[in-house]
Amino acid sequence: MKRLLVMIHRLEDSILVLLLLAMILLAGYDILARTVFGGGIAWIPPLLRVMVLWIGLLGALLASRSREHISIDLINRLGGPMLKRISSLITLSFASIVSGIVAWHSAKYVEMAIEFGDMAFADVPAWPLQIIIPVSFGLMALRFAIQFVQTASSKGANA
Amino acid sequence: MSILIPLLLLMLALAGAPLFTVIAASAMWGFWQSDIDLQVMAVEIYRVAEMPVLIAIPLFTFAGYLMGESKAPQRLVRITDAFLGWMPGGLAIVALVACALFTAFTGASGVTIVALGALLVPALKKAGYRENFNLGLVTTSGSLGLLFAPSLPLILYGVIAQQMSLDTPVSIDDLFLAGILPGALMLFALSLYSAWQSRHIPKNEETFDKAEAWAAIKDSVWEIPLPFVVLGGIYGGFFAVSEAAAITALYVLIVTVVIRREISLTHLPVVMRDSMKLVGAILLILAVSLASTNYMIDAGIPEQIFETIQAHVSDGFTFLLLLTVFLLILGMMLDIFSAIVIMIPIILPIAMQYGIHPVHLGILFLANMQLGYFTPPVGMNLFIASFRFNKPVMTLYRATLPFFFILLITVIIITYWPGLSLMLID
Repeated sequence: MKRLLVMIHRLEDSILVLLLLAMILLAGYDILARTVFGGGIAWIPPLLRVMVLWIGLLGALLASRSREHISIDLINRLGGPMLKRISSLITLSFASIVSGIVAWHSAKYVEMAIEFGDMAFADVPAWPLQIIIPVSFGLMALRFAIQFVQTASSKGANA
Repeated sequence: MSILIPLLLLMLALAGAPLFTVIAASAMWGFWQSDIDLQVMAVEIYRVAEMPVLIAIPLFTFAGYLMGESKAPQRLVRITDAFLGWMPGGLAIVALVACALFTAFTGASGVTIVALGALLVPALKKAGYRENFNLGLVTTSGSLGLLFAPSLPLILYGVIAQQMSLDTPVSIDDLFLAGILPGALMLFALSLYSAWQSRHIPKNEETFDKAEAWAAIKDSVWEIPLPFVVLGGIYGGFFAVSEAAAITALYVLIVTVVIRREISLTHLPVVMRDSMKLVGAILLILAVSLASTNYMIDAGIPEQIFETIQAHVSDGFTFLLLLTVFLLILGMMLDIFSAIVIMIPIILPIAMQYGIHPVHLGILFLANMQLGYFTPPVGMNLFIASFRFNKPVMTLYRATLPFFFILLITVIIITYWPGLSLMLID
């Protein structure tokens, strides 16, 4: 189980790093092509836009791994250990459920896109581009659930 | 029931639930009540892939983090010192200018305090400034500069406003122009205060040192073109924001990794991951807010709020006053990115009913948020600085107070003088 999680983490990291590198190079090339060579490649701009979605969602996954999601940090700044622990348990379970619901419904959406053969741009089918939505939300739901179990089982106040 | 769920969500938000889950839940609750299939969430989230300007967010953030990890902050302080250090209160002004520039490029996420604070606080102390002044200055400067291009909050405000198909279009280029004078006013007010504070310090013997200035220029030779290319390119209308971001990211990558070799190839993926965490957190909130905004506008919620407010507040003057108080509280609790994506869709239509120009609203909104960063008791930068400099938060409350009041005055000027924001655009 632990090894599987580590593998998933590595995979997310590598995809994210490669995507960002590719994005920087492609975006740079695109400008050069349009200004110097007098014409860009048609598929680069839409591809870049999809990469933003992927990078965003993968980055969000990373943020949930280290609990760096944007939140109102009042309790962490002002609350005591007991209050922190309780609010942590409540909010983690809530986050897990909500992410799970989004994952479930977007999975159904992608299923439909496969069924109807939706196209994204040019001859690229839409579903491989959309698949990141259910995958990332599903993994986030899982991650929040794991953190819930960790917080619940740790006796210390470092939750 | 109808009031119970929003109240519950508000409690969850205050308890520290990730904001994207709270926003997603409220959107889904709304859709579910209107019998709309929740698959719509995927459609809304996918809209992130349909906005070309968003490319600027990962690219600028990455470039900012990379510069923060390199020795660019040291060089920035050296070159500003060489040129401004001889003035009365020179070093403090150096700190303000360096922080403002750095924040504009890194997006006011606390990076400035961490990257520049460690350099500036000891330097200010050595020059004889009081400790409280130094801490206050650096904490305040952590959000200074977010009115200057190419700051991410300005871009994000433009993105949100463009989503709303207003009668007065809001272009990001206009926002970049509109931020210049209000941002300069804040910088000027703080510089005056710093010059006045340095009156008890033994007279600065330093004069302008040509040799040092030249050496500093040579030292920063790779960074100097950057603001010119980016700001000149955007303000001059040569490139779009996303293109400027692409050039910046590629340029900074080549300079720090290939030419200067300040970031090793093994460290590069770490910087990429760290920067993309922030990007992910911002874009995720944006993605789910697209859904909630869409629902809210369909349900006519801004109109309802407007009618309620209109019953009590008839003139723009009072409205702006209430808005300022509200935004200060908001800015203290909510980070700037979520504040923009959550509140702008509600506030913007209401403000326009009171005759406020959307570009002016963006500037005053961000100016208020900037203040919120260090508004006691819970402004975010107070805690970042307390952690970074290992001082109790109470010390920082006291240290930032004079700065708070100075900037509050500038925020009021910015709020009630639309011309200051609008005079550079037509």
